[in-house]
Amino acid sequence: MAFLEAHGLTKTYGETNAVDNLTFTVEKGSFVSLLGPSGCGKTTTLQMIAGFEDPTMGKIKLAGRDLSAIPARDRGLGIVFQSYALFMHMTVAENVAFGLEMRNVDKAERKRRVADALELVHLGHLANRYPRAMSGGQRQRVALARALVIEPELLLLDEPLSNLDAKLREEMQLELRRIQREAGVTTLMVTHDQSEALAMSDRVLVMEKGRLQQEDSPFEVYERPRTSFVSTFLGKSNNFEAELKSVTPTASQLLIAGRGLTGPSVNLKPGTVEVAVRPERIEIVDAADAVITGTVRERIFLGAQWMMNVATPLGDMLVIRRNAGRREAEIGDTVHLSWAPEHMRILPLNEVAA
Amino acid sequence: MNQNGRFSQVFNILFCAFMLAPIVVVMGVSLTPEGFLEFPPSGISLRWYQAILDNSDFIEAAWISLKLGIVAATVASVLAVPAALAIGQGKFKGREALQALFLSPLMVPTVVLGIAFLRFLSLFGLNGTFTGLVLCHAIIITPFILRLVLAAVVGLDRTVDRAAESLGASNWTIFRRITLPSILPGVIGGWVLAFITSFDELTVTVFIVNPATTTLPVRMFSHITQTTDPLVASVSALTVIFTIILMVAVDRMYGLDRLLIGEGKK
Ligand SMILES: Nc1ncnc2c1ncn2[C@@H]1O[C@H](COP(=O)(O)OP(=O)(O)O)[C@@H](O)[C@H]1O
Ligand SMILES: [Mg+2]
Repeated sequence: MAFLEAHGLTKTYGETNAVDNLTFTVEKGSFVSLLGPSGCGKTTTLQMIAGFEDPTMGKIKLAGRDLSAIPARDRGLGIVFQSYALFMHMTVAENVAFGLEMRNVDKAERKRRVADALELVHLGHLANRYPRAMSGGQRQRVALARALVIEPELLLLDEPLSNLDAKLREEMQLELRRIQREAGVTTLMVTHDQSEALAMSDRVLVMEKGRLQQEDSPFEVYERPRTSFVSTFLGKSNNFEAELKSVTPTASQLLIAGRGLTGPSVNLKPGTVEVAVRPERIEIVDAADAVITGTVRERIFLGAQWMMNVATPLGDMLVIRRNAGRREAEIGDTVHLSWAPEHMRILPLNEVAA
Repeated sequence: MNQNGRFSQVFNILFCAFMLAPIVVVMGVSLTPEGFLEFPPSGISLRWYQAILDNSDFIEAAWISLKLGIVAATVASVLAVPAALAIGQGKFKGREALQALFLSPLMVPTVVLGIAFLRFLSLFGLNGTFTGLVLCHAIIITPFILRLVLAAVVGLDRTVDRAAESLGASNWTIFRRITLPSILPGVIGGWVLAFITSFDELTVTVFIVNPATTTLPVRMFSHITQTTDPLVASVSALTVIFTIILMVAVDRMYGLDRLLIGEGKK
């Protein structure tokens, strides 16, 4: 049985569903990300789990018990807020000790556990500082230590790295993952940053407009997106319409820009579909092998890679090529593009083309 | 700092001079050796300061004003803090009305208030009593505290309360350990402002004192209606010095501009 379960979780504000019939599970000890664009309902979901918002519908269970009747202060969850929400008039040690005081932990043990928690986040030497005199990254660690010291069953992180600058963010990704592993705490993190979600999580839940789009491992959501939204939200993708002619258990027949192509098997009915191809999977080939032919519109050199924008009958295609130390196609050149059938993702047609 | 034009600099200087001139005059007059008001003083003497010590009426009135200011400012703070939290953080209808009610003593002419209090206290037999004075002063000075505390409350981050709650704190604990310490500068600033206002209050108080509860401003007022000797000047000068010391102390502790103008961004 899963450790955290959400069943049909829904939150309605006025007319709109901020969270719409969300069902998912989190396994004990795992690190799961709730990924989606701003405003898709991530924070609302987290607040419902934390107990600060009541679900309009649906249920949340933690270790088998229903949370709905348990007030936030009795849920015993560790929460790191986006703004960190530190107690500015207390020292770092006092901040961290607060949760233990509320639990009437005696003074000697309190001191020991605060020291342990600060050690875990490498802040032992700053115990007597005030948060005002600390950097963003340090404050974030204080917030983390404060949440972890109560040994929560579940750690909730709301965009924990979004207030840090790019370099610090990458450091903290590794650091956060280390801390989570050492503490062994089941973690649900909210983020709008796809690379963060991919880098840190065991599982990724992709949300859009309050709905769950896909739940998978980071590799799977990137490699096998199941909706048009997921394919474009995670990484770059060339999406275009195609005709699905027929499907067998092992393959499918597609018509792309008037050309017949064999693709991977898919659980869809014949008709108009959307095909997604990653830019790094597109190759430049001879005219005879071309799937589509186009003209190079723009070309950017990135050192290790070339990035090209190619105008084709299917629309503009983004092509990323490894720099092999040779000359590349120039702006204005005609190029023939192709890709291996297994690199096509055949998706249900999205009403609003991405 | 020099984004102000020459004209506004001149204006500022004139304005400060205008504000400070009466204080300088009062200080000067209080040092006169003569028995009448003169400025500039013909000599320097502490004669009129000595006179205060020989005048038990003034000393007693000063004690009453001090006690009244402390008790009234404290009572008003106890009223204003929960009111500011309700107005600043609550989500109920009538918040605006509640705020207007608490601020209304500022909008009613003080003479009208004085007459109203006189009638009101008579009804309850509190006329001239210390309790009556505390009640009326608390009502008059609550708006001053409320405004400062409200400014502090509005700046509070509610997610901090949630953080404390998630760590197991009860509402009372959140208030005592998190909210109150965060708004304390506002409360103290408001308390001091309220204390000074009470200590200084004449128009309303004149209606509701009796000889046993005469406050310092009322004492001075009745003194100058009878005689005009420099005694009032020396008392005034001491009051001004007392107020300045109070302000400096608060400034040292919390920063006056932060209290009176609002939280400055660093
Ligand atoms: N208290 C609220 N009242 C009304 N609408 C809200 C409230 N909180 C959130 N919303 C709306 O719900 C949607 C989801 O918000 P949120 O969960 O904060 O998104 P995210 O965290 O993914 O950016 C948004 O459209 C937001 O405007
Ligand atoms: Mg959010």
